[in-house]
Amino acid sequence: MKRYSHLGGVLLAIAAVVGLTAVFNNDYYLRILFMMGVYYMCAAGMNVLVGYAGQKSLGQAGLFAAGAYAVALLTTRTDISPWIALVVAAGVSAICGVLIALPSLRVKGPYLAMVTLAFGIVVEKLVSEWTEVFGGAQGIYGIRPLTWGSNPLTSQQWVWFVVALCAATHLLLRNLVDGRFGRALLSLQADEIASSSVGVRVYRAKVIAFVVAAVTCGIAGAMVAQQNQYINSDFITFHLSIFILLLVLFGGAGSKYGPLVGTVVLTVIDALLARWPAAQHFLYGFLLLFALYVMPGGVMGLLTSVFKRGEKNQDLPRPVAEPAYKRSSAAPTGDLLVVENVSKSFGGVKPAQDVSFRLRRGHVHALIGPNGAGKSTMINMVTGVLPASEGTICFLGENLAKRPMHAICGLGMGRTFQNLRLFADLSVLDNVKLGHHSRMRNGFFSSLVALPSARREEARTTQRALQLLELVDLLQLALTPAGSLPYGLQRRVELARALATEPLLLLLDEPAAGLNPQETAELGQLLLKIARRGISILMVEHHMDLVMSVSDHVIVLDYGMKIAEGKPADIQCNPRVIEAYLGVEDDAAPAATPAVAAKPVTV
Amino acid sequence: MAEALMQAILSGLCVGGAYALVALGFSVTFTTTKTLNFSHGEFVSAGAFIGMSVLFLALGKPVTATSFGDAIPAGPAQLLALAGALGVMGLLGWLLYAVGVRPFAGRPGMAWVMSTLGFGVILQSVGLAIWGPKPVVVPSPVGDQVIRVLGIGVRPQELLTLAVAVVVMIGFDFVMNRTMLGKAMRAVAVNGSVASLMGINTKAIMVLAFVASSALAGLSGFLLAPIAQASLFMGLTVGLKGFSGAMIGGLNNPRGCVIGGFALGILESMVNLWQAQWREVAIFALVILVLAFRPTGLFGSRLAEKV
Repeated sequence: MKRYSHLGGVLLAIAAVVGLTAVFNNDYYLRILFMMGVYYMCAAGMNVLVGYAGQKSLGQAGLFAAGAYAVALLTTRTDISPWIALVVAAGVSAICGVLIALPSLRVKGPYLAMVTLAFGIVVEKLVSEWTEVFGGAQGIYGIRPLTWGSNPLTSQQWVWFVVALCAATHLLLRNLVDGRFGRALLSLQADEIASSSVGVRVYRAKVIAFVVAAVTCGIAGAMVAQQNQYINSDFITFHLSIFILLLVLFGGAGSKYGPLVGTVVLTVIDALLARWPAAQHFLYGFLLLFALYVMPGGVMGLLTSVFKRGEKNQDLPRPVAEPAYKRSSAAPTGDLLVVENVSKSFGGVKPAQDVSFRLRRGHVHALIGPNGAGKSTMINMVTGVLPASEGTICFLGENLAKRPMHAICGLGMGRTFQNLRLFADLSVLDNVKLGHHSRMRNGFFSSLVALPSARREEARTTQRALQLLELVDLLQLALTPAGSLPYGLQRRVELARALATEPLLLLLDEPAAGLNPQETAELGQLLLKIARRGISILMVEHHMDLVMSVSDHVIVLDYGMKIAEGKPADIQCNPRVIEAYLGVEDDAAPAATPAVAAKPVTV
Repeated sequence: MAEALMQAILSGLCVGGAYALVALGFSVTFTTTKTLNFSHGEFVSAGAFIGMSVLFLALGKPVTATSFGDAIPAGPAQLLALAGALGVMGLLGWLLYAVGVRPFAGRPGMAWVMSTLGFGVILQSVGLAIWGPKPVVVPSPVGDQVIRVLGIGVRPQELLTLAVAVVVMIGFDFVMNRTMLGKAMRAVAVNGSVASLMGINTKAIMVLAFVASSALAGLSGFLLAPIAQASLFMGLTVGLKGFSGAMIGGLNNPRGCVIGGFALGILESMVNLWQAQWREVAIFALVILVLAFRPTGLFGSRLAEKV
């Protein structure tokens, strides 16, 4: 029902604007309405990039130019239909979007922002200095506008067209950011490593966000060129890039209506101050400098904090009872993970030296060892965070070398981190749903147009996440931001998130760190419950009583070397293990009693 | 051909000196505060215009004048202008840190990118309100008589830029590596909280970094003004090329930044020989290429994230 009422709202807004064009039917007001629509297009796409993916682009003017000049050259030098030219222009800007996204593979943060800024300046220089093609300050005349029947659109019709386009953009992008894709973008903004550990293809998602911003911006540029029937290099300035960014930041990045608010307010101010360009620029500078200080969430952020309305838990569907769990593998025995002769060195430090071990299906394995033994490094190599310097790691018979983290997650490996890596600003439910990301089958386009299949996948994911939250007993906190939970509960959210990836092997890096004895005991029960479902576990842990009570098999590392492995009871009285933990006196024989071995490390 | 090439290399080195100063400015703030001044380019323009204003005042003209006419400022006036540019820019750097960086530094979301950009936009619009958009021809302190050596013509101001840049950079290198102040700055760069536990006033060091960085931008603007005319828009590309130089050399390695700045100057004037409009594109392509193979620059140290 909510879908239809929203659709109704959008139609009402279109009707209102069309009504306005009838009342204020003079070119000045129509022009302002048209530009509002154009800037909204830019801002709406930019919001996906800045607000959701968290990538600052300071070169949107370059993409605006790509659209505008593509349409200009196509309609002045060929006989192509202006409508097709508009579509091609969108394609050209999309390619430029991929181009700016390329560096994001290697650089982040301020570097990337500076690269996008450079892109904008390069395009600006190119269109103003390569006069043979782009006409420089002289510009390109005679751009053919869009036509209806065989007549060019009137000013009024342009406004109608642009409003329809804005509404369509709003609806499509809303579909996109509300589901799988928007969640993935928010997660990579928060923490790229955690994001890829749950199966998000981080780089691909970033490129898509850049392309979305590029396409809307390119269409905006093309429309300006076609409506004016003229374009020159004065349109393409660094200030345009800043203005587009400001539309989003001022309105509220990451809020669905932020771009709309930003566009309406700033376009009106822009029109009022048009006669004093210096004052205009001063205002933009002032807003950039102070707006984020006063209202970090933009106007929308301010409004929502004033009219605080928390979503209520009763909006959530109840989790249906889980179907009887089917064992995820046909052959419950055999080797799941084979680590062979793996070594790792960071300069002179060697956290792994010729380590080999095998993990069996359905078993709980523990990886123990004193601090600095290389346990976390081993987990990181297995999950693809770090490459192994030597040796092979095979999971389900597949060599994991060179495989990215998201692919390893896709094969069926879920993990938690030693120092929690939750998406702190997202709700507990969204964190767990993100875990299910790699198991969702709806792609970009089916999400964009909200096909029934995409909606079904979303509902299925919510259901699955709720079931897992019930398992870890966090159902009543589903809509709380994960970062606001106490430490012990955050550990459970991370566990649920890792389980949502539907792993065959679950890697837990110190799951009991920071838990009190009661919580540790509960965790032990939970781990056994998980293991009974056929999920194999490899945990790094210091709590020996936990290790001894739940694991079937223990591997001991010391200074990067495997010194022992076997059944927990055997490990407890292994002299080398005792030596590693307690040290040994020069003359004393390295044979302590089992009791001494287990006790001191449980502190 | 050989002469044209030599000419290009020499003038590339000269303008590269200015880029290197800008690159060094980026490096100083990045290593100490992990932030960059995104309006560094506007600071370059501001340096040029503040130097110019002092010269106007010394000649008895109003600050808002837009032409020197035939007046040639004397040597002391030029020195005074240099001191004025460095001093005012230093103050602006401190102001930028106080209002634009300190409230946001260390917080997620890179809000400081926006605030430093905004600071630059304000600076530029104030400049536009005073002097308007037209460029101003600024007389050089060492005259405009072209010196000819082996068929290569070079303006004294270009040689001056190169010389000043080299001297400043050697001085900077000495301070960073041989003095207690330099050690303190490097300590803050490595780990601010540990540095403050060792009794280093990290806040003062960070302010100092912004003051030094802005003064370097001002210096490069002051030196470039007589070469390329003072314009409020000159800084954007200079700043960007300085940053490109810093990225190529490695932002966290000051010496690398300097080398990157010079290399970029030479590359630019080489491309200029061939096709001027591809200048920016060539530089940009080089930056992308370097980043693709060495994301932290040619001489930068790699950063590893602990998981």
